[in-house]
Amino acid sequence: MDSPLSLDTLFHLGPVGITAPVVVTWAIMAGLGLLCFLTTRRLSLRPGRTQTVLELFVTVIDDQVRDTMQRDPAPYRALIGTIFAYVLVANWSALLPGIEPPTAHLETDAALAVIVLAATIFYGIRGRGLKGYLGTFAEPSWVMIPLNLIEQITRSFSLVVRLFGNVMSGVFVVGIVLSLAGLFVPIPLMALDLLTGAVQAYIFAVLATVFIGAAAGEDAPQAPPSSQTDKKDPQP
Amino acid sequence: MSFDWWTFALQTVNALVLVWLLARFLFRPVSRILAERQAAAHAALDEAEAARDAATRALAEAQEVRDATAADRAARIAAAQEEAARQKQALLAAAEAEARAARTRAEADLARRRAQEAHHWHAEAGDLAVEMAARLLSRLPGGVHSAAFLDGLISALDALPGPSRARIGTEGPVVLRAAQPLSEPEQAEARARLTAALGRPVELRVETDPALVAGLELHTPHAIVRNTFRADLDRIAAGLAEETAHEQ
Repeated sequence: MDSPLSLDTLFHLGPVGITAPVVVTWAIMAGLGLLCFLTTRRLSLRPGRTQTVLELFVTVIDDQVRDTMQRDPAPYRALIGTIFAYVLVANWSALLPGIEPPTAHLETDAALAVIVLAATIFYGIRGRGLKGYLGTFAEPSWVMIPLNLIEQITRSFSLVVRLFGNVMSGVFVVGIVLSLAGLFVPIPLMALDLLTGAVQAYIFAVLATVFIGAAAGEDAPQAPPSSQTDKKDPQP
Repeated sequence: MSFDWWTFALQTVNALVLVWLLARFLFRPVSRILAERQAAAHAALDEAEAARDAATRALAEAQEVRDATAADRAARIAAAQEEAARQKQALLAAAEAEARAARTRAEADLARRRAQEAHHWHAEAGDLAVEMAARLLSRLPGGVHSAAFLDGLISALDALPGPSRARIGTEGPVVLRAAQPLSEPEQAEARARLTAALGRPVELRVETDPALVAGLELHTPHAIVRNTFRADLDRIAAGLAEETAHEQ
């Protein structure tokens, strides 16, 4: 068995080596994109079962963002919702034989953490202005500037390590148990991985929401909880 | 353990592309349909509220119409009752007038019948009196008849105006009617008394008329001198009839 920390290059596109996490991510992108395209083609005011599930998912994301940030969830809906859905599906992809979850590799988790960091800076500058956002690093005193700068790095790093550690450890344990005990013995551990994957997806999404909400500030105008605006989603 | 920067870069791009994909095909359409449903629900609520307001107004209008109908009905009933009372009074008045007229007619008819009956019974009484007088007189001797009535006849002849007396007997015979046939002496006495009363002789023709009951009548072309029971009875009957008429 290969080490879960190693990356297998499946093929090359010119000088770029395409590894397994990238291919699995493409598959997840294709699957989610196709599923969403097919299920949202014929939305109606009288929803069916599939539309009800989609609306429930979007409503839960909105409620979570609204409860955490105390503001209109529309600008953050796509980013937070995509992070949650991707991490959840990526974590659960370990259930498929021969598939290793992309989140069990540092590159994927780091990419997600970098996106969250970039979104934090973007929404912070948009919500407070450049000067106001930079001023947050000097709170409560300019003495805290180094610590706040280090905090930005460390909390992003903690996102990476938390997700990577939990998912990788699960895959690692399942691999070890499978190699030592037999075919069906890892099933309880795989079930535990389902729970762990869901919890880690929720934690990653909630922490991203908290970071972005803290950067955007608390003085931003708050939309009414029932509003369902269709603003252009941010592109961090 | 190594870190593949190409994988890191590709995963970053992949994540951003996935954000775009889900925003394009999941979050925007679903959030839009949620907003549309919310707007539709608000519109339905507004429409329901408007319908409720319209129903409330319609109910109020219906109540007004019902009240107006009830008021109109009460007014019509009052008018009908007033008209019925008026017609009742008119009918009662007409019936009373008709009854009064019928009573008047009945009273007049009764009075007329009473007058007719009184006249009839007066006539019957007169006839009965004549019959009784005739029967009583039939028991008297014949000379008494003419002798008793001849004096009255001469007295009535004397009461005539002079010109009327002067023309008696000048234009033909004088007719002397008696209830019973006159004997020759009675005729001679009657002729002698007439000659004495007129102062000249006249031609006398004696006739018998039982209808006179008793007494004598002197007929000339211009005057009739009566002294008979028949004339007396007719005068008495006329007087009684006149008194009865005055009493009624």
